[in-house]
Amino acid sequence: MALTGCVSPPPKSDYTQFRSEAPRSILVVPVINKSVDVNAPDYFLATIAHPLAERGYYVFPVNMVKSVMADDGLSDANLVHSGDPRRLGELFGTDAIMYISIERWDAKYVVLSTSVTVELNYSIKSAHTGQELWKNHEVIVYSPQASSAGGLAGLIADAVAAALTKAAPNYIPLANQANNQAINLKGTGLPAGPYDAMFGKDAAAY
Amino acid sequence: MNVRIWSIGVALVIMLSGCATTNQKYDWGKYDASLYTYYKDPTKVGELSTSLAAVINNSKGATVPPGIYAEYGYLQMQKGNNQGAVASFKQEAAHWPESKVFMDQMIKVASAPAHSPQGSSK
Repeated sequence: MALTGCVSPPPKSDYTQFRSEAPRSILVVPVINKSVDVNAPDYFLATIAHPLAERGYYVFPVNMVKSVMADDGLSDANLVHSGDPRRLGELFGTDAIMYISIERWDAKYVVLSTSVTVELNYSIKSAHTGQELWKNHEVIVYSPQASSAGGLAGLIADAVAAALTKAAPNYIPLANQANNQAINLKGTGLPAGPYDAMFGKDAAAY
Repeated sequence: MNVRIWSIGVALVIMLSGCATTNQKYDWGKYDASLYTYYKDPTKVGELSTSLAAVINNSKGATVPPGIYAEYGYLQMQKGNNQGAVASFKQEAAHWPESKVFMDQMIKVASAPAHSPQGSSK
């Protein structure tokens, strides 16, 4: 069975509201950044359209939406997140809006070892009623020393990994992994969207 | 609160991806990477535009992923090619009815007369 290798699944989320609306389209609005990396929201934006679309949803063009909203004075993520989802729904004609907050996006260095952390909160609200339809939270820690082979070989491997991440910590694989877990894990992820063959047929898992 | 240690081991990555849907619906080409590169260095907008065009041209009858025609059209609009932008926005709306409200608005903006990306005359 494919699931045998998985970490034990958390309790199933409540999908009642999500099911009753069955959104077809998702608008990703400016991302709130609580990390110290000012570039994190942009970099994150480059990772989110792909997994949502592959789940079967129409995803509004993220870069275009970002620019158009900025032109309309809607670039402040905190303001947009506290605004009325129904107003955005009218502007864009979307069924649902995805609100993302970056809680952590950082790297810690300790002599030979490094850990890189990405922590995200996800929320989808209805653009028709304003109600929250789904939420999730992910923390991904990349920690090369955790898999150390031990001995001299392990020390060398750790030193190489630390040097690589120190030169340019790459958060994108972590963001991809967070998105994958948030969106695709059975029981807590997103039900299949209208462009997926399982649309409306996956009630047992979601 | 799903805290999982993401180790360097390839085995774990394979294991985790085994839990999830991995069949791809669309060919995204270099979309993700070129958008990331563009955010790192906005002068590389040309590479983003090229990779979007490649996703469209390589689709060969298969469905172009949602948003790609629109993203491409928007970059054309930023370069002042409003005619090309309108054509791309129409493609997006034709392939993805969910986008129609937004695309109709953008078509109106791109078709508005006397719009010059160079700004007003002196």
